Amino acid sequence: MRAGARAGLTLALLLGVAAAAAGQAPAAAAGARTQARALAEAGRYEEAERIARAAASPELLVTLGEVLLARGQRAPADSAFRLALAGHPSDRLVAELDRGKLQRARGARDSARASFRRVLDQAAGARDARSLVAVGDAARFLGQDDPPLFKDALRQYDRAAAADPLDPLPRVRAGDLFLEKYNGEDAQQSFREALELNPRQPDALVGLARVLEFDGRPGAADAARRALATNPHSVPAHLLLARLALEGEDFAAAEREVTDALAVDPASLDALAVLGATRYLGGDPPGLEAAWRRAAALDPRDAEFFTTAAQLGVQGRRFGGAVELARRALALDTSNATALGILGINLLRDGDIAGGRAALERAFRRDPYNVWYKNTLDLLDALKGYRETRTADFQIVISPGESELLAPYAGELAEEAYEKLAARYGYRPPAPVRLEIYPRHSDFSVRTVGLVGLGALGVTFGRVVAMDSPASRERGDFNWGSTLWHEVAHVFHLGMTDARVPRWFTEGLAVYEERRARPGWGFAPTPDFLLALKQGRLPPPSRLNDAIVRPSYPEEVVHAYYEASLVVEQIEHEHGFKAILDLLSAYKAGSSTGQAFQRVLGLDPAAFDRAFDGWLRQRFAPALSDRYAAEVDAAAKLAAQGRTADAASALERAIALFPEYAGPDNAYARLAELHEKGGQPALAAHDLGRLVAHAETAYDERLHLADLQERLGDAAGAAATLEGALYVWPYDPALHTRLATLYAGLAQWPKAVRERRALVALAPVDRAEALYQLALALYQSGDAAGARREVLHALEAAPGFEKAQSLLLRIQDAPRGASR
Amino acid sequence: MRRAVAAAAFVAGLGAAAGPAPAQATHLLVVSGLGGDPAYADAFYRDGAALVDAAHGRLGLADSSVVFLAEDPARDPKRIRARSTTENVARAIDDLARRSRPGDRVLVVLIGHGSDDGEPRLNLPGPDLSAGALAHLLERLDGRQVAVVNTTSASGAFVAALARPGRIVITATRGAGERNETVFGRYFVQALSADGADTDKDGRISLLEAFEYARREVARAYRQERELQTEHAQLDGDGDGVATMAPDSSAPDRLAAAAFVLTGSPTLAAAAADPALRTLLERRRELQQKIAALEARKPTMDAAAYEAALDPLLLELARTDAAIRGGGARAP
Repeated sequence: MRAGARAGLTLALLLGVAAAAAGQAPAAAAGARTQARALAEAGRYEEAERIARAAASPELLVTLGEVLLARGQRAPADSAFRLALAGHPSDRLVAELDRGKLQRARGARDSARASFRRVLDQAAGARDARSLVAVGDAARFLGQDDPPLFKDALRQYDRAAAADPLDPLPRVRAGDLFLEKYNGEDAQQSFREALELNPRQPDALVGLARVLEFDGRPGAADAARRALATNPHSVPAHLLLARLALEGEDFAAAEREVTDALAVDPASLDALAVLGATRYLGGDPPGLEAAWRRAAALDPRDAEFFTTAAQLGVQGRRFGGAVELARRALALDTSNATALGILGINLLRDGDIAGGRAALERAFRRDPYNVWYKNTLDLLDALKGYRETRTADFQIVISPGESELLAPYAGELAEEAYEKLAARYGYRPPAPVRLEIYPRHSDFSVRTVGLVGLGALGVTFGRVVAMDSPASRERGDFNWGSTLWHEVAHVFHLGMTDARVPRWFTEGLAVYEERRARPGWGFAPTPDFLLALKQGRLPPPSRLNDAIVRPSYPEEVVHAYYEASLVVEQIEHEHGFKAILDLLSAYKAGSSTGQAFQRVLGLDPAAFDRAFDGWLRQRFAPALSDRYAAEVDAAAKLAAQGRTADAASALERAIALFPEYAGPDNAYARLAELHEKGGQPALAAHDLGRLVAHAETAYDERLHLADLQERLGDAAGAAATLEGALYVWPYDPALHTRLATLYAGLAQWPKAVRERRALVALAPVDRAEALYQLALALYQSGDAAGARREVLHALEAAPGFEKAQSLLLRIQDAPRGASR
Repeated sequence: MRRAVAAAAFVAGLGAAAGPAPAQATHLLVVSGLGGDPAYADAFYRDGAALVDAAHGRLGLADSSVVFLAEDPARDPKRIRARSTTENVARAIDDLARRSRPGDRVLVVLIGHGSDDGEPRLNLPGPDLSAGALAHLLERLDGRQVAVVNTTSASGAFVAALARPGRIVITATRGAGERNETVFGRYFVQALSADGADTDKDGRISLLEAFEYARREVARAYRQERELQTEHAQLDGDGDGVATMAPDSSAPDRLAAAAFVLTGSPTLAAAAADPALRTLLERRRELQQKIAALEARKPTMDAAAYEAALDPLLLELARTDAAIRGGGARAP
């Protein structure tokens, strides 16, 4: 006791505190502490420090230490915490916790754990909210080695909230914990509750911003800026803005934010980690190493430095790099659950299923409340039953219920895409590319982001592509063929640039390649898009990344994808395809978009924005005239008056104004109707042909067009049209039967066989008949052995099936080599 | 030539070993209930009329063996015998009891809206027909092979009410809770009237084949429309009052329904006078038995060994059937 008092006095002298033992009365000290905390919360650290020092009470020492720590003054902060502990203030548990956090930040993990345990040992005495929060925080830190403690942490935060219903801090901490476990919903609830108590509480605002970022919703940057409005020195707010800038691939902005953070707290390991990630993503590997040296000087075992860089790298599609960074983290801390998780998830994204699973299982053992790990491991269990089909360049993985049906189409299309893109780009991605197709959107979503609810249809992780199967959506919701082509295009662009191509450019390229693949594939301009163009709401090319990553209005992502494809179209049109290749090379070399555009196109971003805007307005000038709807309405009135020819002319005028429009009330459909009613099926077929050439998901229209084509004797045209319908909805047996018949009539036996196989795959009630028809098609294609195999399967289902028996005998009794 | 045609007609009805006894006849009673609104009335009438047409056509039933009771007899006096009141249902069953003989097959198909507020029933003009009342009426058909197919909503509880040994009950729903409009009836009728349900390709349709066809098409229809399936058909084939939705290959429910064939039964008499044909038929029966035995062992066999054993049997069966179709003149 005495020795403690002496030590306290010495430390007090070091701190410049006049008389620690004989300071303010408790009530006055509590008031000063509240004031100092409020000032610290507003980032007014110097004033807070003055009050804390002037109070000369052990009750203020913890607050003083926290203020010092916020500015990176670790040694004096540590002294303050130690002095506080010697003085037995009412917030000694907070002092113990803060000391543990500081020890942890210095890499003294055993000492830190000892401090946290001491907090837990004294938990029974915790009554006030801040002490209970300290107990919760200690449990949360120790939970990394003993996961059930995470639940205890939550309980303590709840108790703290009950102890002081007006203090936002317990809710903020609970929100942090929920978010750490990828539970965005509960995290948001906690942060919102905190903000109801204090709408300007900076940590709650940063928490909310993180939830919004986590969910991919707009408003994260706004929330972070509101936090900075309260506390301009909030390191977490600056770092969040830096992260958002990295997400938008704006490395300069990220650098500014992280520099601001380090100016407040030069010893912030979080800030140094984000600095390292900024340099890494900006194509500056030595910059990453330099940041690491600074961090290592503070804590040589700071695995979080590398996990942070890895996580931010993943946002920049550096999946392979994330694996390497996670391994560096594990070299520092072999049992780091976050590093194990990053390693596992990104090995899976690289196609190493066994290695990914092993790492993820280790991560899950250490962090069993992590829903990403749990969901992914559950998905991997389901994935065991999936079937693999190999083609020359692809490993196609589809659920057992759909593999037989979809694999032939997916393989055929993927190979076509690969060969055409390889010829165009002069690059062949390493094979095999792994293509996973999920019948449930939730499974695809978990594969992609570990959680359900992802809005995308497909995703490419370098050499692994995952996408929705058509079964995961309503018929007509999307075209799975164009989606597959889009993702295969990403494989090329990511591979060619070592994943350095900006998000907006690769999306634009992929959509543009869709449009080049088939008429009607790829995004099309909508009236909404035109309206946004007219109102000046479309982002300029230099802002497309932001629009894709953080759209400011719901349709902006779709608009941005389409606009990005137009940027690519314009570049190819104005500068030739070589310019696209040169841009990709520049990105690979580490250029920013501004640098790449300047070098290849000779334009800075602002000049390119202006040039593109002019080109865009010229391209859509007729459609922007707003006369489309008027012409369609006029046509309806003319048709009602029996003036069919005039109505048709009006509709043609509408089409000339906006030929890409094939949405509701489009002129093509009306014109086709007029022509069909007028007994002009050839014209109607021409109209519908133009319609489907602009509508990748038009299913019924394709069937109708095929009817007309068949009536007109155009079997090849009908088959091509129905082939297009397969990429909208491949589950209708009638569609496959029609195609099989058409292809047989056209003597296109491989395709006839493919269609007959599809019918078998659809598990028809009359399986014997389907197998017999398959056998017949094989026989007619010259594959007697295959025909024999399938006809025997038909007879296994129905031994007395006369037609199948006859075919079997024909095959059996035919001279060797004879067929058909 | 004549002989060949006769033999072919015989084979078409074959199933040889498992076929019905020659004297058996099949009778059909179709009861189509209250529509409520014109769309339902049309749909119920269409299903009933299609079933009657299939009975006369594809199934080859005699006119006198088919009775169609519907809401509005004036709509189609040629097909509809009388209004579908409970009283007329009772009369029709009485009539069936008089005209049929023990061992005959009687198929009763109920079409319309069903309800179940503790007592399952079919909504008919006038008083509804309850499951209990129907069970009572069916007692008059003792000695016949009776099958009841209730295609209505909330029809599941008819199983328990009608179950008895030797009686087959099929319902469109698995319980009283499935109260939405059903599509099972449409596909059950389709099974009997169009190609596709004869999955064993023996030229006849059994009640099991019709049930399986309708059950799978119902599932496909809901999947196609991406709607939650609100009806799950069930079958009680052995009369134990416990229905199954997807009876496996050895289930008693399945075996009984497989034996209830709906097409006319050709006589074996044609074969009696021709020793060569008799030999072929006997060989055919042996092969069928061997194939059935082999299929039963399939789950425990290596796939290649199974195929190696099955292929020659199927080939010989094909040759034997070809010879039978040729009238026995050409031995396999």
